[in-house]
Amino acid sequence: MKLLALFLVLAARTATAIDVVATSSSGGMLVREIAHQYATVEILAPPDRDLHYLQARPSMMRALRGADLLVAIGADLELGWLPVAVRQSANPRILPGRPGYFEFAAQVDLVDIGGVADRALGDVHPLGNPHIYMDPVRMATIATALAERLAQFDPAHAEDFRIHAEAFVAAIERKLPDWQARLQDAPGVVLFHQDANYLLYRFDVPLLGFLEPVPGIPPTAAQLRTLINSLTGRPGVVLYTTFQPAQAAESLARQLNWPAARLPLEPPLDAVGSDYIAHIDRWVEAIAAGAR
Amino acid sequence: MVLTTLVALAGAAPAAAQDAGEIAELRTLIEALRSDYEQRLSELEQRLESAERAAASAERQPTPSVAAQRTVATPQGGSVTVGNAFNPQISVILDGGYYHDDSGGNGNVLLNETIQPSLGGHGEAEHDHAHGADIENGFNLRETEIAFTAAVDPYFDAAVYLALESGGEVEIEEAWFATRNLPAGLRLKAGKFLSDIGYLNNQHPHVWSFVDQNLAYQNLLGGHGLQDIGLQLTWLPDLPIYTVFGAEILQGDQDRLTAFVGEDAERQALGLSAQKDGPRLYSLFAKFSPELGYDHALRLGASYIRGRQHQEVHEAPLFETGLEGDSALWGIDVVYKYDNASAYGYRDFNLQAEYLQSNKDLLVRSGDPATIGNARNLTTDGVYIQGLYGFAPRWQLGLRYDALGRTNEVSGDIRQRFDSSDRWSSVLTWTPTEFSRLRLQYSRSDITTIDGIREEFDTLWLQWILSMGTHGAHNF
Repeated sequence: MKLLALFLVLAARTATAIDVVATSSSGGMLVREIAHQYATVEILAPPDRDLHYLQARPSMMRALRGADLLVAIGADLELGWLPVAVRQSANPRILPGRPGYFEFAAQVDLVDIGGVADRALGDVHPLGNPHIYMDPVRMATIATALAERLAQFDPAHAEDFRIHAEAFVAAIERKLPDWQARLQDAPGVVLFHQDANYLLYRFDVPLLGFLEPVPGIPPTAAQLRTLINSLTGRPGVVLYTTFQPAQAAESLARQLNWPAARLPLEPPLDAVGSDYIAHIDRWVEAIAAGAR
Repeated sequence: MVLTTLVALAGAAPAAAQDAGEIAELRTLIEALRSDYEQRLSELEQRLESAERAAASAERQPTPSVAAQRTVATPQGGSVTVGNAFNPQISVILDGGYYHDDSGGNGNVLLNETIQPSLGGHGEAEHDHAHGADIENGFNLRETEIAFTAAVDPYFDAAVYLALESGGEVEIEEAWFATRNLPAGLRLKAGKFLSDIGYLNNQHPHVWSFVDQNLAYQNLLGGHGLQDIGLQLTWLPDLPIYTVFGAEILQGDQDRLTAFVGEDAERQALGLSAQKDGPRLYSLFAKFSPELGYDHALRLGASYIRGRQHQEVHEAPLFETGLEGDSALWGIDVVYKYDNASAYGYRDFNLQAEYLQSNKDLLVRSGDPATIGNARNLTTDGVYIQGLYGFAPRWQLGLRYDALGRTNEVSGDIRQRFDSSDRWSSVLTWTPTEFSRLRLQYSRSDITTIDGIREEFDTLWLQWILSMGTHGAHNF
């Protein structure tokens, strides 16, 4: 009898929980942080993958098939695979433009907008830089918008979602002066790809260059020489992500006598808000390390 | 203002000042004033410019504050993507390369006509205009593909794929529309399309991992695979394991499965019936994919195709034999993919294999009077297995074995067996970016020709594939 009651409670809970699919762990983090037990989250791409290059796998379509809400980053970051996966999931609720489709890029202003749409310049994103999740302030804005969206699916808990989003916003607010202070004298960063631009712009950290000669093209010897010639003698740090090849980054750091750090681009798969703050903390620490 | 007054003064000067020295003095004065003025102007311009720059950068990098950011953010629609433009997404794909075989440039014809008891439309219909059939030694332009895709309205998606041959002929590879809103995981597609049977069938040639089609598809389905006009219904039930069921009703315009003797007089002379009304071809397929996490993916599939009417003409020394009946083809496919977290496909591994078997149950309608009415059951199978490994970022090495006719026989009222054909291929692919690809392929073929002669030959391909326009889809 007790078991049956438990089963009924569980069944009732899963029946009412919003079925959310997030393309990456940043989206998953926000959903967990805001919806708590009122949503289930499945993540299509773990943080150790480059979201540019995934394939539309059958497991994605399976996950999307029954989803109430799809939380994507957008701005063409998932362009290669998400439209295919959504189409083949035969789930009209999550088509772009419908309430079941939520995109980070549509909630905030993007940076690096309006480059020339010319692939001779690499895999460019004329719509703007899609790696929005690296800006904690924009993530706070997105959290507020996501709470409203989740509220549409579960109006009974709308107030909970708003409170949770406010708490996340407040947590970011509290952290900002600390991050700002630690990055005050940051001498600058060389990135592998244009993926942490938002974080650097946010705290006015000089962006000294990229290992990729143009987006999507692996580092070349000429690019390394250019960086070494222009940066020798000044302090800085080389940052690259877990899925980017280490060789060029480490070699540049060695030759400039800078520190280098290999960091995940997104929070862990099962992250909640505090893990996201810890994630940004790691980046801040690595950037600040350039001053030494 | 000062300058204009001075210029006016200078204009009046020749009348007032007779003395040349005075004129020169005035000129010097004006020059001095002008240069002073210009200097000040440019200083002002510079100040304005730097003020503007400062304002712009202040706008770009506001003092970090969530509240400030929130006021900046404007509520927008649901999505930010280039695909929102009303134009269909357009891509153009160039495909060509250098080809050489040591069979006098005939290798591709042999690969397309390996021996099997079913002749399909050969000898009657036009030469099968298949991929690779008109490749010659030297440089070749393969088909140039132009693709248009878009959402038509809230209810339908549509796509058109055109193939331009180097001679200028245009062929519609696909022209279909599909529903966006059907409930319960259903999707209906109508038009001309590549069937979703098997694994490779719905892939356009530029997506293949090898330059050429495998022997099984090439000879049992034709170079394009099963590509026809009709309807497709797929159903993706909401299950914890990816499962798709599909059914297709197709017109049956197939050289290999629903061939038809097109000329009335000849058909009547051979005792063959008139063409049945379409649709003449049906297919069923199912695909399953267990959950194996982010690193591994496995997909299993099974397919069945049935043709209602198939005619063949077999030339014998004394008689021309007309055969008619129905056709069937079944297949199983398995694909395993290992996705390493490293960038650019490094350490990724793919293994895929398919088995196809074609069965045609025909009756002798004409020819040797003693055999009229006899049953001729033609069975041929084909298989391929291929593996690909990313041995360095952007570099992939692959190996393929494909074979036709390991079962290759006639049963029914006579029994006959035919030899098999097979081939080994190795491929080296370099993908500088997502939009370009260069490939080197070497194959060793051991083919039994349509005349029963064994031909061994080597082929070499150096292929280029370039894609312009819309970012390609990363299909599984």
